[in-house]
Amino acid sequence: MGEVLELKPLKLFDTKDTTDLAVFVRTSDEELVTWNRQKIVDALVRETFLDKGTAEMISEEVEKIILKSGISVLTAPLIRELVDAKLIEKGLEKARRMHTRLGMPLYDVEQLIVYPNKENANVPHGPEATNLTLAENIKKEYALLNVFSQDVADSHMKGDIHLHDLGFIDRPYCSGQSLEYIKKFGLSLPNSLAIAKPAKHPEVLLAHMVKFAAALQSNFAGAIGWDAVNLFFAPYIEGLSDRDMKQLAQMLIFEFSQQAVARGGQAIFSDINLYWEVPKHFEDVPAIGPGGEYTGKTYGEYAKTAQRFVKALFEVYMEGDGCGRPFFFPKPLVHITEKFWKEDGHEEFLELICDVACEKGNTYFVFDRGNTAKISECCRLSFKLEKSDFEDAKQPWRMRYSAIQNVTINLPRIAYEAKGDDTKLFTLLTERVELAVKAHIQKRMFLEKLLSQGERGPLALLTMNKDGQPYLRMHRVSYLIGMVGLNEMVQYHLGQEMHESDFAVKFGLKVIAHMKLLCDKFSKIHNMRFVLEQTPAESTAYRFARLDLKHHSEKAGRIVKGDISRGEIYYTNSTYINISQPMDPIYRIKVEGLFHPLIEAGSLTHIWLGEKRPNTKAMANFVKKIFHLTENDQVAFSPEFTTCLDCRKTMRGLLDICSYCGSDRIEGITRITGYFTRISSWNKGKLGELRDRFRSKDYF
Amino acid sequence: MILFSTPTCEKCSNIKKQFDLKSMGIRVEELTEDNAEGLALLAWHGLVKRAEEGLPILVVENEKIVIRGYENIARYLEKRTLRN
Repeated sequence: MGEVLELKPLKLFDTKDTTDLAVFVRTSDEELVTWNRQKIVDALVRETFLDKGTAEMISEEVEKIILKSGISVLTAPLIRELVDAKLIEKGLEKARRMHTRLGMPLYDVEQLIVYPNKENANVPHGPEATNLTLAENIKKEYALLNVFSQDVADSHMKGDIHLHDLGFIDRPYCSGQSLEYIKKFGLSLPNSLAIAKPAKHPEVLLAHMVKFAAALQSNFAGAIGWDAVNLFFAPYIEGLSDRDMKQLAQMLIFEFSQQAVARGGQAIFSDINLYWEVPKHFEDVPAIGPGGEYTGKTYGEYAKTAQRFVKALFEVYMEGDGCGRPFFFPKPLVHITEKFWKEDGHEEFLELICDVACEKGNTYFVFDRGNTAKISECCRLSFKLEKSDFEDAKQPWRMRYSAIQNVTINLPRIAYEAKGDDTKLFTLLTERVELAVKAHIQKRMFLEKLLSQGERGPLALLTMNKDGQPYLRMHRVSYLIGMVGLNEMVQYHLGQEMHESDFAVKFGLKVIAHMKLLCDKFSKIHNMRFVLEQTPAESTAYRFARLDLKHHSEKAGRIVKGDISRGEIYYTNSTYINISQPMDPIYRIKVEGLFHPLIEAGSLTHIWLGEKRPNTKAMANFVKKIFHLTENDQVAFSPEFTTCLDCRKTMRGLLDICSYCGSDRIEGITRITGYFTRISSWNKGKLGELRDRFRSKDYF
Repeated sequence: MILFSTPTCEKCSNIKKQFDLKSMGIRVEELTEDNAEGLALLAWHGLVKRAEEGLPILVVENEKIVIRGYENIARYLEKRTLRN
């Protein structure tokens, strides 16, 4: 039914009953209009394909209810509810579905406006953020009703699977960018009032990068990652003094970490990929410099400048923000390739990034062993470069990668349903992966519909074509299938957690291998790139645990982690082993690393440090060991901090009062999943996990 | 011992033809698109990336060694045959 109920001559209300009834309707267009039954008929015919006769009959019956109720002021949503109730009564379920009104109850809106939303700790609480959440909620409903089929939507609602970022249904999930694009083409965005030519100065390039990142954030649900930032900046900063280099590094980090004017008041979830060595695939690529012109040199020749810049960036990370806190964004992802160990100065640089990891925790160590090359972003997502990508690397502006959607599978639930039967467990797992694939196909179809509208459509930015192909290169996108609670699945199925026996780890590997092979198979069938990713599961690990405790309470009650009495429950993230178990960190890294090669779209091992500051040299040796002796793809070390809101000092560890001024107005900070944030914004599941985390205090 | 191979790998076939693997106590793990167990075993030995670079791979569990490539595996198995 349309929302505008216009004031019309009451020719339909020519009976005594209705003309006597002075009913007014509050419309969504903020008008007060008199009752007009024909509006119901029009809406039913337009929206549900019901025949006119049935629509007339429904409208007459609804009118009778209204007459009988004696109500004087109606709202458009109430009329719609009455019509929907009548459709159900008549068995017209399909029509009822099509006629559904999306929105939120008054109570929920009040809760949202007054209290913070803890689904995403990166979203602050404020007017812009509540606008975002309100819109997200409607889009979520829309997605579940209109984008995904009922079986897929129901599986999400029940918690068999989780469809991520439903509130951002009309955009892809996340993406990896190349600075070369804006260096070559300048900043020329659809709907922009001014077009900027390629930057001539490093500060302008930085401004373009930040603005473009903000624009991209409005077109993607998740992270915006940038490849080889220090290397691609190099042609602009050759010859800069150390002081100016540091100033630029400081600007870059503050510009990204203070983007609080972006979507919903949240910072852009941004990642910068950094290299000490020039990666092989960029060595001989002609470098683009000021004005978008080729400089006549290759990127291999800018190695020293790129190294100076990456050192400057880490010096800034080391200092932290104005209160000495770690920067939350942009996340620095340092790629370590085989070449790294042969490059001059690598020992010194390794110590610098380890020093930052020990002091502030920022550094992500990304290990690209053998011929592997990738762009990393988000909490752990990465795009592994393939043969055709190395060809693209010769024109690096083409290197734009996206994941369209992430669908996560609730693994413990499969174990509950399988009741110890191996065959049933793998059959159910196959069915869930099939369901995830179906969801991906439906999301792709929906996005393609939006993209087909080109530059006049809602995704104009992603269709802009400056290099012979749309910005969003659909032929090179991936579709993510994630997992939560492998540890609990194995625990329920075998009676042992993964840290308890080799047998349990081997079974866990079989589960993930099965998922990987299914992804490969479905990729061939559908000509879509399905890949496994370790879901960050900031809220999914909590949501699945809550739903399982509700629907499989006896089984889940013995398995979920956390504190049931406080409601602080969770499943162990993705393929991690129990996070509360005391163990040598190298053992954790080794065992978790066994899963990483099967998970193409990204994995990460966390080492929680707590208040202890490790020894820098010990950590450098540790990182070297990880590269050479394990299969682990990525490691982050997470210290904990307390910031005083009164004296603004930052201390190591999670404290109850400020150790400088004694104030209890303090704020805890540490890494939630793949990024640092304030603990006060965490959901209950993550708080439970925080209490349980084993801190590796005595190993460095 | 485990020999990781694929049905389409020529060098793997040569090893299989040249030696009586069964009598030598070598289990052949064919990495096919349906063999999750084989892939899991490969991952357990930390060899997924190495397998992507090339097969065959022989894992000698009791000696804790991994041998890669046709020539190296053939040489090792020949020596072993002579020893026995």
